[in-house]
Amino acid sequence: MIEVKNLTQTYRSGKGVFDLNFSIKEGEVFGYLGPNGAGKTTTIRNLLGFTNADSGTVTINGIDCRKDAAKLQGMIGYLPGEMAFLDNMTGIEFLKFMGNMRKTKDIARRDHLIEHMELEPRGKIKKMSKGMKQKLGIITAFMHDPAVYILDEPSSGLDPFMQVKLMDLLREEKSRGKTIMMSSHIFEEVQMICDRAGIIRDGRIAAIEDVHSLNAMKQTHYIVNLAKTSDMLKFTSSDLEAIVLNENKVEISVGENYREMFKLLAECNVTGLESRHQSLEDVFMKYYGEDGKTNE
Amino acid sequence: MSSPLFKATLKSNWPIALGITLFIMIYISTSISMFNPENAEFIESMLTVMPEGLMKAFGFTNLGTDLTQYLGNYLYGFIFLVFPFIYTSTVANRLIAKHVDRGSMSYLLSTPNTRVKVVTTQAIYLILSTSVIFIILTGIAVAMSTGIWPGLLNIGLFIVLNLVTLAATLVVSGVSFLFSCIFSENRLSLAFGVGVPLLFVVFRMVYSLSEKIDWLKYLTIYTVVDIEKLLDGGPYALYASLILVGITAILYGAAIFIFNKKSLVI
Repeated sequence: MIEVKNLTQTYRSGKGVFDLNFSIKEGEVFGYLGPNGAGKTTTIRNLLGFTNADSGTVTINGIDCRKDAAKLQGMIGYLPGEMAFLDNMTGIEFLKFMGNMRKTKDIARRDHLIEHMELEPRGKIKKMSKGMKQKLGIITAFMHDPAVYILDEPSSGLDPFMQVKLMDLLREEKSRGKTIMMSSHIFEEVQMICDRAGIIRDGRIAAIEDVHSLNAMKQTHYIVNLAKTSDMLKFTSSDLEAIVLNENKVEISVGENYREMFKLLAECNVTGLESRHQSLEDVFMKYYGEDGKTNE
Repeated sequence: MSSPLFKATLKSNWPIALGITLFIMIYISTSISMFNPENAEFIESMLTVMPEGLMKAFGFTNLGTDLTQYLGNYLYGFIFLVFPFIYTSTVANRLIAKHVDRGSMSYLLSTPNTRVKVVTTQAIYLILSTSVIFIILTGIAVAMSTGIWPGLLNIGLFIVLNLVTLAATLVVSGVSFLFSCIFSENRLSLAFGVGVPLLFVVFRMVYSLSEKIDWLKYLTIYTVVDIEKLLDGGPYALYASLILVGITAILYGAAIFIFNKKSLVI
């Protein structure tokens, strides 16, 4: 459904995207990941037909995203990474304005979304908090029941409770067969909702991987505090991947072999156990080096 | 044209139009009430005391004893050029460049409206609102003049003078609108969109001061608003209007073309 072919766009700063290739199938949820400045937003700008690429083509349903942008916009739900509304309007005025611009007749879905996302629609947008603006952006992207969602960091600015509500919304749209492309930093988010994930680094796709196989790749890291230094040997001689941090601290990596980990922990005098956060990027980068080749 | 966009633009920009209209209205009403066919000669003799250069710059050299000439020289040499351009430059910047710089243009373009449609709507707003301001002010001036000095104002010539001044203002609005479409940064759009019309006004004010800088008149569109020639009647007004309307069409056409082709970082 979404096709990015040989997309190259260079900015004067030297940044941009270089010979980008990927496609997203109809009904698929695609996570798009990468550090800041890697080219995520540049890719999205091309999908929305805002920028002129140096070379390459970007199409949705075979329609050129730049030349026939207006034809596509009716079926796209877009959430920008940076919120800039028409500030002098109230929330509800803006939603009505966007509805009129799209000639959407049905307002039941809009009102349902306002309720679901707990938007306070009467306030001036200028005075809204970051989270409230994000909710307004989400409703704007979802209210015309589009076939394709292009969401730039949809959960940013939302509190954990609202993040769950957003996930509910995304899951519902997924079950209705919608195509979703979303950029994100949060592993759990991508893990929960996406079918495939692509990572972009320095304007190039470093890897595109099935999320299920990513889950298998995922390892959780624990830092174990030991009372006795002698117990350290048990870790280093086990099958678990273990890195000695200091005389009583060891970091172990666990995939699906938790049984072994607990057995080992039970044998030792453990005084502390904490998990270290691992982002999806870490998982990717562990398996794919700078050049995108597999390390293992 | 997109009517929801037009309405939204009107809603966020009408106070500026109202402010400018009221401001010019005060000038009109004071100058009409200041006019007195009996002491016009006295005012003129008083003005000769002022430095001639200053009077020339503001177009006060030939105030005349005739109400139409008096208003023409008093208002259309300076006030009716400067304040309308302040309006068009400010609004032209707000209509396109500000949306691009802030990023809110992404919302206007993420609807099933082509860029041409969006930018044309904004252009229509600028042209229409400027015209409405002129129509209201002309109406008020005619009503006040005939109320206070019945029969003294040559209404036909006065309307012609206003039409040509409006046409020149529309050219200037086209210049600012073009810069608003060319530049993605607010400050650049404002710098050129205000700067170039300001030069037009300054050139118009100073070119008659000395033979040496007479050539400046070829660098400002306001030279076409030649009050003496316009108040003479004759075909000059028609030619002037046609040329001005033609330039306006070219400027707006170029603005729409450029915005449609442009790469937007929004």
